[in-house]
Amino acid sequence: MTAAALSLATADWTYVWQNLGTLLRGVWPAVRLTGTALLAGFLVGVPLGALEVYGGRRSAWLARKAGVAVRGTPILVIMFITYFGLGLSPAFVAATAALGVRSAAYQAQVFRGALQSIDRGQMEAARAVGLSKLGAIRHVMIPQGLRRFVPGFQNEYTIVLKDTSIAFAISYTEIFYQMYNLIPQQTTATPELFVTAAAVYLALTLVGNRVLDYVDDAFGVPDGGASQ
Amino acid sequence: MSRNDHLLTVEDLQKSYGDELVLDGIDFTMDAQDVQVLIGPSGSGKSTLLRCVNRLTEFEGGTISLDGEDVMAMDVNELRRQVGMVFQDFNLFAHLSARENVALGPRRVLGKSKAEANDRALDELERVGLADQADSYPAELSGGQKQRVGIARALAMDPKLMLFDEPTSALDPELIGEVLGVMRELADEGMTMLCVTHEMGFARQVATDIMFLEDGRLVEHGDPERLFTDPRHERTEQFLRRLTELHGGGSES
Amino acid sequence: MSAERERRHADLERGLTYAIGGAIWLWLCFRWLNSWLGGVVVGPTEPLVPQSFATATESLGATLGAVGDGVPLVATGFDLVGWAVGMVGFASQYGPQLAVAAWLTVVLTVISTLVGLVVAVPLAAARVYGRVTKYVAFVYIELIRGTPLVAQLFLLYYGAPFLSKFIREVPGVGQGIVPAQAVWIAIIGFVINSSAYQAEYIRGSVESVDPGQLTAARAVGLDKLGGIRYVVLPQALRYAIPSWTNELVYLIKYSSLAMFITVPEIFTQADSIGSETFAYTNAYVLAAGFYLVLVVTASYGMSKVEAEVAIPGVGSSDAGR
Ligand SMILES: Nc1ncnc2c1ncn2[C@@H]1O[C@H](COP(=O)(O)OP(=O)(O)OP(=O)(O)O)[C@@H](O)[C@H]1O
Ligand SMILES: [Mg+2]
Repeated sequence: MTAAALSLATADWTYVWQNLGTLLRGVWPAVRLTGTALLAGFLVGVPLGALEVYGGRRSAWLARKAGVAVRGTPILVIMFITYFGLGLSPAFVAATAALGVRSAAYQAQVFRGALQSIDRGQMEAARAVGLSKLGAIRHVMIPQGLRRFVPGFQNEYTIVLKDTSIAFAISYTEIFYQMYNLIPQQTTATPELFVTAAAVYLALTLVGNRVLDYVDDAFGVPDGGASQ
Repeated sequence: MSRNDHLLTVEDLQKSYGDELVLDGIDFTMDAQDVQVLIGPSGSGKSTLLRCVNRLTEFEGGTISLDGEDVMAMDVNELRRQVGMVFQDFNLFAHLSARENVALGPRRVLGKSKAEANDRALDELERVGLADQADSYPAELSGGQKQRVGIARALAMDPKLMLFDEPTSALDPELIGEVLGVMRELADEGMTMLCVTHEMGFARQVATDIMFLEDGRLVEHGDPERLFTDPRHERTEQFLRRLTELHGGGSES
Repeated sequence: MSAERERRHADLERGLTYAIGGAIWLWLCFRWLNSWLGGVVVGPTEPLVPQSFATATESLGATLGAVGDGVPLVATGFDLVGWAVGMVGFASQYGPQLAVAAWLTVVLTVISTLVGLVVAVPLAAARVYGRVTKYVAFVYIELIRGTPLVAQLFLLYYGAPFLSKFIREVPGVGQGIVPAQAVWIAIIGFVINSSAYQAEYIRGSVESVDPGQLTAARAVGLDKLGGIRYVVLPQALRYAIPSWTNELVYLIKYSSLAMFITVPEIFTQADSIGSETFAYTNAYVLAAGFYLVLVVTASYGMSKVEAEVAIPGVGSSDAGR
C-alpha cells in the first residue's frame, strides 16, 4: 500500500470514528426488529411445525404448501408487499410482518425436523401412561421438540439479523440505513464504513448466539439435543 | 546378510508420540508363509507396530525391511502395494460397491484396465465367498461380509505380506467364524500374515509364532503350544489366562 | 384403503404439479426464444392474449369483489376471489416483461453459483490445510458470512468506483448480449458471497467423511491426492448436495437485491410495473410467483441429481443457511 492510500485511509477512519454514534444508532432498531420478527415467527411457526407433523391430512398439507410458498419468496418481495402493497405502517410494523412471516415458515421447518427427530417410543410411552394424543403432543413431544430447536433457531437468528438490513429499503433506520446515509458525505470512506458495520453485525451475531447457547444449556436435556 | 533371508525384519524399532515411548526396541523376523500373531493389552502398541510396517505412521528409531529392502528407502506407495492391511472397523470405501472397493487399487494404483480390475475383483470376492454380493454397497453388508470385502480388497494387490489389526473385534460373535475361516484358508494357501488378534483358537491352530507385547516392549514370543503350556513370564501367563477366561479356552467358534 | 387413497392423492398432486410446471416452463422458454430472436412471434414483452382479456378479467374481479360487501366474512372471501380473478388478467399483461427479466435472474444465479464453487474449493482447502492462508480464508469467510449481502453489493457498487469504471471500459460490456456493468458487479458480489458459504459447506462435508476412509485409501497404495480424489471427494460431494440446493435457492431469492444496484432482474421489473400501474401488490405477488417457480424448479432438479447419484450409506447431511 502506498503512503497516500494509507493517509487517505486514516482520514476515512477518522470520519468513521466521528460518525460512530450515528452508525450505532441503528443497532437498537435492528435488534428490536430481529426480536419482534423472531418472536412472531416463533409464535406462528411452532404451531405450524406441529401441525405439519401431527395435523390432519388436509391441514398438514396446507401448512406444508404455505411454507414452500413463503420460503420460495425473496424477503425483499415480502417486505414490499407488506409495506407498499398492503400499506402496513410504520416501517417497523411492515418489516416485522415480513420478517415474521418468513421466519415463521423457516421456524416451522426447523421445529418439524426437531419433532421428527424424537424417538417414536416417546409418543408410545406417553400414550401408554394414558395421555390423549393431544396431551402427548403437548406435554411430551413439544417440550422435547423445543429443546432440540435451539441450534436451528441460532441459525435463524443470524439470518433474520442480517436481513433486517433489507428494511433500509422501506426507510427503517437500522444499521445499514445509517451506514448508507453516511456514504455521500465521504464516499472514499465506504470500505471503512462497511468494515465497521460488519464488526457491529458480527458482534451482534456473537452476543446473540452466546445468549442462545445459555438458553440451550439452561433448558436442553442432557444428550437430548443431539439430533443428527 | 542374514536379514535378506527373511521376508520381514524388524530391528530395534522405536516409536513415540510426543514424550510417550509407544514402541521400545522391538525385534523380530518373519519368513515367507509365516503367520505371526501379536497379542497384548490395550494400548500396548500393537496397532502402532502394524502401522509402522506399512508406514501409516512414521517411526524414529530402528529399521524395518521387507524382502531385504529398508522400508524407509522404498517409495511409500510402492511399500503399501506390497503390504495389504485389514482394519478393525473395515474402512470400506462407503461410496463404492463391494466390487468397486476391491477394484480401486488394481485400477488406480496398479493402473490396470477397468475390465481387468473388475475381473480381478470378482475373483477375490469369489475367494472370500462373496461373489453374489459384488454389487452391494458397504451399508448393505453385514459386519462379517464387510470384513471379507476388506480382505479381498487387500488381496487384490497381490501383497507379499498381510497385516490384520483385530479384524474380528468389531463383529458379533456369530460373524467372527466366517472371517477367521477366510484367514485360515489364506494361511493354508501360504500367505504371510501378521495378525493382531485375541482369538486364541485361531492363534493356537494357525499361528507359527505368537508374540506378547506390553507397554511397547516384546515380553516374549514362541510357538503357540509352548506359549500356552509354558509361558516364561508371569505377565504373559496372566494375560493368557485372562484371555482364556474371556474367550472360553482354545476352541474356536 | 386410506393408504390407497393417500397414494392417489399424491399421484394427483404430482401430476398437477408436473402439468402446471411444464406449462409454465414451456411458456418461459417460448418467451425467451421469442425475445432472443427479436420478437419473431410477438413483441418481446408483448402479451399473447389481447388487452381486452385483461380488462375483462379485471372488471369481473371487481364485480366479484363487490359481492357481499358489508357482510364481514363473506366480503373478505369475495374480495380474495375477485382479487385472484383480476390477478389472472394482470399476469397475462405483465407476465411477459417479468419472463424476460427472469432470464437475467437465471443467468445471475447460475453463473454466480458455479464461479462461487470454483472460488470456494481453494478457499475451503486453505481453511482446512493452509498455514497462513488458513487465517486469511477464515477472516474472509467469516467477514462475508457475518454481513448482509445487500451491504456487500453496495460496497462494490458505490464504494469501489474504480471497479465500475474498470468494467465499463472493458470492450463489449453492455453491448449485444454482454450485460451492462451493474450486472457484472452483481455477479462479482454474488460470487464473493456465495464462495464464502460454499467454502464452509465443502469444509463441512469433507470433514464429515470418516478419516478412516483416507487411511484405507493410503493403505491400498494410493497417494494422498489420489485418496482425496477417488475416495474422499466422491463422498464429500454427495454430502454437499443438500447445501448446494440451499445455496442455489438462496441466490435465486437474494438476487432480488440486485435491484438496488439497477440490475433489471425480476423484482426491478416488478417494481417499475408497480409504480406504473399503482397495482403494487399485484406486481409484487406476480414477481413472487416467478421466484417461486425458479426456486421450486431448482429444488426439484437438485433432488433429481441427488437421487441419481445416491448410494446407500453415503447419506445426505443437511446443512445450509
Ligand atoms: N495418533 C496418536 N497420537 C498420540 N498417541 C497415540 C496415537 N495413536 C496411538 N497412541 C498411543 O500409543 C499407544 C499405543 O497405541 P496402539 O493403538 O498401538 O495400541 P493397541 O495395542 O493397538 O491398543 P488397542 O488394543 O486398544 O487397539 C497408546 O498409549 C495410545 O494412546
Ligand atoms: Mg489397536
